[in-house]
Amino acid sequence: MKNFWKSGDPYVWLTGGALMTSLLMVGGLLLLIGAKGLGFFWPEDIAQMRLKDGTVLLGRITGKEKIPSIVGDSEDRTRVHLKIGNRDLYGLDFKWVDEDRIEKIEFPLGAVVLERREWGDMYAFIEDIERDGVSLPGEEEGLWEALGGLIREARGIYSRIREIETEEIGRINYRIERKELKIKALKLKGKGGEEWGEGRVARLEAEIEGERALYLEKEKELEALYRKLNENDVVMKTADGRSKTVPVGGIVRAYRPNAMGVLLKLGLYGSKLKEFLLDSPRESNTEGGVFPAIFGTVFMVLIMSVAVMPFGVLAAVYLAEYARPGPFVQIVRICINNLAGVPSIVFGIFGVGFFIYGIGGTIDSFFYPEALPTPTYGTGGILWASLTLALLTLPVVIVATEEGLSAVPTAVKHGSYALGATKSETLRRVMIPTAMPGILTGLILAIARATGEVAPLMITGVVKLAPTLPIDANFPYVHLDRKFMHLGFHIYDVGFQSPNVEAAKSMVYATTLLLIAIVLVLTIFAVVIRSRLRKKYSFGEL
Amino acid sequence: MKRRRLEEIIVRWTVTLGGVGVILCIALIIFFIALEAVPLWRGASASLTGTFEVAQRDGAVPLAVGIDEYGEITYTVSGDGAVSFYSAKDGSLMSSRLLERLEGAGVAAVTPVSGQHGYALATDTGFVLPIEIKFLVSFDEGGRRNIEPWVYEGDPVRVSDGPLVLAAYASDEEGGRAVTAAVTAAGALIVVSEAAGDSIFTEGETLTKRYDLTPALRGSLPTQIAVDDFIENIYLGTNDGRLFQWHINDKANPSLEAVRDATPSRSVPVTALGFLLGGRSLVVGDAAGGVSVWFSVEDRASPSGRSLMRVHTLSPHDAPVTRLAPSFRNRGLISGDAAGKIIVHHATSERKLLELVSDGTPIAALAFAPRADGIVSVTGSGTQYVWALDNPHPEVSIKTLFGKVWYEGYPRPEYVWQSTGGTDEFEPKFSLTPLAYGTLKGTFYALLIAIPLAVLSAICASQFMHPSFRALIKPVIEIMAALPSVVLGFLAGLWLAPLIENYIPGVILWFIIMPPLILLSVFLWRLLPKDFRLRFRDGGELFFLIPVVIGGVLMCYWLNGPIQSGFFAGDYREWLFDTFGLRYDQRNALIVGFAMGFAVIPIIFTISEDALSYVPRHLISGSLALGATRWQTALRVVLPTASPGIFSAIMIGLGRAAGETMIVLMATGNTPIMDWSIFDGFRTLSANIAVEIPEAPHGGTLYRVLFLAAFLLFVVTFLINTVAEVVRMRIKKKYGNM
Repeated sequence: MKNFWKSGDPYVWLTGGALMTSLLMVGGLLLLIGAKGLGFFWPEDIAQMRLKDGTVLLGRITGKEKIPSIVGDSEDRTRVHLKIGNRDLYGLDFKWVDEDRIEKIEFPLGAVVLERREWGDMYAFIEDIERDGVSLPGEEEGLWEALGGLIREARGIYSRIREIETEEIGRINYRIERKELKIKALKLKGKGGEEWGEGRVARLEAEIEGERALYLEKEKELEALYRKLNENDVVMKTADGRSKTVPVGGIVRAYRPNAMGVLLKLGLYGSKLKEFLLDSPRESNTEGGVFPAIFGTVFMVLIMSVAVMPFGVLAAVYLAEYARPGPFVQIVRICINNLAGVPSIVFGIFGVGFFIYGIGGTIDSFFYPEALPTPTYGTGGILWASLTLALLTLPVVIVATEEGLSAVPTAVKHGSYALGATKSETLRRVMIPTAMPGILTGLILAIARATGEVAPLMITGVVKLAPTLPIDANFPYVHLDRKFMHLGFHIYDVGFQSPNVEAAKSMVYATTLLLIAIVLVLTIFAVVIRSRLRKKYSFGEL
Repeated sequence: MKRRRLEEIIVRWTVTLGGVGVILCIALIIFFIALEAVPLWRGASASLTGTFEVAQRDGAVPLAVGIDEYGEITYTVSGDGAVSFYSAKDGSLMSSRLLERLEGAGVAAVTPVSGQHGYALATDTGFVLPIEIKFLVSFDEGGRRNIEPWVYEGDPVRVSDGPLVLAAYASDEEGGRAVTAAVTAAGALIVVSEAAGDSIFTEGETLTKRYDLTPALRGSLPTQIAVDDFIENIYLGTNDGRLFQWHINDKANPSLEAVRDATPSRSVPVTALGFLLGGRSLVVGDAAGGVSVWFSVEDRASPSGRSLMRVHTLSPHDAPVTRLAPSFRNRGLISGDAAGKIIVHHATSERKLLELVSDGTPIAALAFAPRADGIVSVTGSGTQYVWALDNPHPEVSIKTLFGKVWYEGYPRPEYVWQSTGGTDEFEPKFSLTPLAYGTLKGTFYALLIAIPLAVLSAICASQFMHPSFRALIKPVIEIMAALPSVVLGFLAGLWLAPLIENYIPGVILWFIIMPPLILLSVFLWRLLPKDFRLRFRDGGELFFLIPVVIGGVLMCYWLNGPIQSGFFAGDYREWLFDTFGLRYDQRNALIVGFAMGFAVIPIIFTISEDALSYVPRHLISGSLALGATRWQTALRVVLPTASPGIFSAIMIGLGRAAGETMIVLMATGNTPIMDWSIFDGFRTLSANIAVEIPEAPHGGTLYRVLFLAAFLLFVVTFLINTVAEVVRMRIKKKYGNM
């Protein structure tokens, strides 16, 4: 026994325990998010539960847990978490069912999942299809097939409606808005005594009238489309025997998971994944896709990179090559390094005070006085968010670039000087190309950090739902003053601010998985580049 | 050749300018943040916009003065019963009229009534007349403002047949109830209570009750009287410096609630009474120049459950206080004295913001502009002064930010953060202490979990693991560092918090059983044949601990139920509450500890591991060669040498935890409470900024206080990081070339 303690092994194993716990935590976390995130798209079977009291429930089993035990209760009782959907009928999406109350669980082949644009999913059986109030003849199978065709047709109409609503009418509204602002601006100038504006104002007003007429036309077209969309209804019968009429136009997709094979399910999985990545969100972000958030994140990171790269590299080159080495430069270096440890929210509040109220407010009063008091740049927007993140990631780029520059072997540098190159030539032709992997590492790390950062963004321009993307078909095409959506904020918002957190949870897991995937791929990329770089130049000093 | 030299010069200048510019920009951040917070400390400033003589007639001593919301028209109510309106620009008399319902009586005293321009007039013929000055604002075609003043006269209340010297009046909004308190020239205190009948027999009638409260005074002579807006209390100041408080309601007789000595001695009379915004705090001015604020504080010992207390003592005057006037925007007030000096105070922060001097004669009437952006006063010589006031942040002082403050309605001084409230009369409370406490608490619990795990892991990875394993482990941990904090916060708040809530005993058990379990596995390991054991590379055997850790978790999962029913009577939450009085908050410090610990572990691990790896190989080899075991070497040789590095790792981890925003925002309830309990939530400085800044109006007090919080956060994390960085560079230098 004495030997046991003396060998030191127990202590070693204790430290090992800590290490293994840390590793397991990372692994477990990634596994959890992976499973929950990917599972979100899988069309799971629908269970029909017959309870002992005669109630019949239809839904997707989402979990099982022990019922918190009561004193003296030795038997472990479990309960099942069932997603029953049909929010319009039941009010709640989820239900706990004690396992000992269940008499029988079946998986009926005819159970249909309707993904709807409103009220969430519906789990029920198909009963009837009504076309303009007239029932369609046919058995369940026949009806099911007919429904497929009708949904496809409705989807076509719906996408046309969306196109008109968001793009065409949006464009008209945008033009009207701009023209109205122009009139306001002309009138503002007119107060200064200039007379020439009157004719232009009249012309603009006429143009606005024209746009309004166009708008009305579109409105009529929309009305016709909507009528067509709502022509057909499908009558569904829920497990407890209630009938519910659902307009076919409001159905995103319908499927019968219990009757599907693995291949079919995989196909559906793909289509759901595609919807997630490429579509706009529905039902206050709890359903549909996250495309605007992906777009916003990428665009913001892009602007940030454009802003941070030149300045970061410039500062690093200055510190490494041009500044006279000494205690002062050393202090500056430490400060820059420490800046990376300053809380991101501090940068955020700086962005609010300096960019939004300071610079944005000034821009507004000089260039957009006609829109005041509605701020144009004097409020959060993608430009300010990007610049705030650029400041936040500046130290990362500076430190990595400096490291890259100092990793360039002095022999190489001296060789360049010996061949008669000037300092700037050496820098341009030798140093920077050689240090490029280091600079890139910095950029990638900066992008990874910016992608995952939320706190400074949520106060400088991220919103839960942006009606328009920062880039669109309206002049001037790139709108840096617009608010935008962001994956990280999407997680926070849907997970913590949405009214129906339970139903939104799986969506958040999927978004989380996406965000983590982006960040991790970038980070791993940076780590690989960096280790390559270190290997390549590590013997240069010998 | 020339082109090359030109290029050289251009590049040099561009790089130098750019580099220095970027560095200056970074420095600008801290200056900008500090600059945004600086105006908090600036006091008030005022500029005199007009002085003019008020038309003086016989007996027309101005007793009250006021100004309209836009600062265009001033008015006076004078002793001859006239209300006069003047232009605030040039002092010209716009109109003047005698109040009709006075019927020629003279006015002895004027007391403000709730609302901004309401007054109660005590007449020399024994009745009290409530009046209100109103301003009708209209805009003409061109958008120009037109203000038309007029006077509303209420129903006179007959109090006595002889002349009155003092009167106070209050009525409720619907006019259903009114209380008049008046003092006659003979020193008698009469209270008249009027209430609209509410039973079927008395409907449409007014029930009037009269009370004579003179006996309660026991010979003291009343000098000041006031009735609060809620028609609940009558306050009375006397010539021997006492303050009386009566409770009134429409059912019972007034009851004497409290008698307090409000002035330094019996020879110092109370000379002025007034209410702060909200009507709950009473301000008392005395002949020695003292100004103090009183309100009823919860007190179990007193029969009514409350007792009147002196809560704030404000900056004193050198001469007797003659007039008090509250601000209608915050808990500020102005006081004027017999030497013509006016002081601008803020009651809660007890700040003296400004001192204004007029002509040296006593201040006869004094008022705040409705928007608190101006002061108007009339001196004894009949001169009216109008000041424009700039008083942006009166409620903030070092004490209100960091110390305990006694807020209105609170039983004792407390640290409170509460930036918004439901009503206009709400007073924002900006104590940064609970937030700093929350930051410390979150950081503490995060480090409590992170330090042991990270430092032990680093020791293990750097000392007992074969380099090939290390090459595997380090990137994994680095990936951990890259996880966005919003992800950790989400998991902590929505997955971990509900999960752990049911398994708290199990979680605690895990920390207890893990060490013995590991020791047991070592023991079992040593029982295995040596041939088998030697087959593993350094540290390879430690991977056997993975199933052990997982087994521990499973064991705790199974044991959770039995433990709960065995030790905690079925539900540990009830047990906690019954035994220690602790509440269990689902999103609590433990959850934050786990999530933030997770965020901090990779930072501490990486830096400690680096520091441990810097320890020169020959030291370790020497120790091993002398026969020390690998644990002895690690503990006695490596750890002391690398301890500064580990210290700096912990410091950097601390800095990160202190500034973390999203995790605490999502994993705690964000209530700014001060409680050490691990099962309670908190709010940190950083989360507070994120929560409040979108609601903070630009340039307002909240906005600047948040910048101050950001500044503190910046400075603290920067200092912590600098210490860590300096230590790290030292050891790098020391052992780097060995």
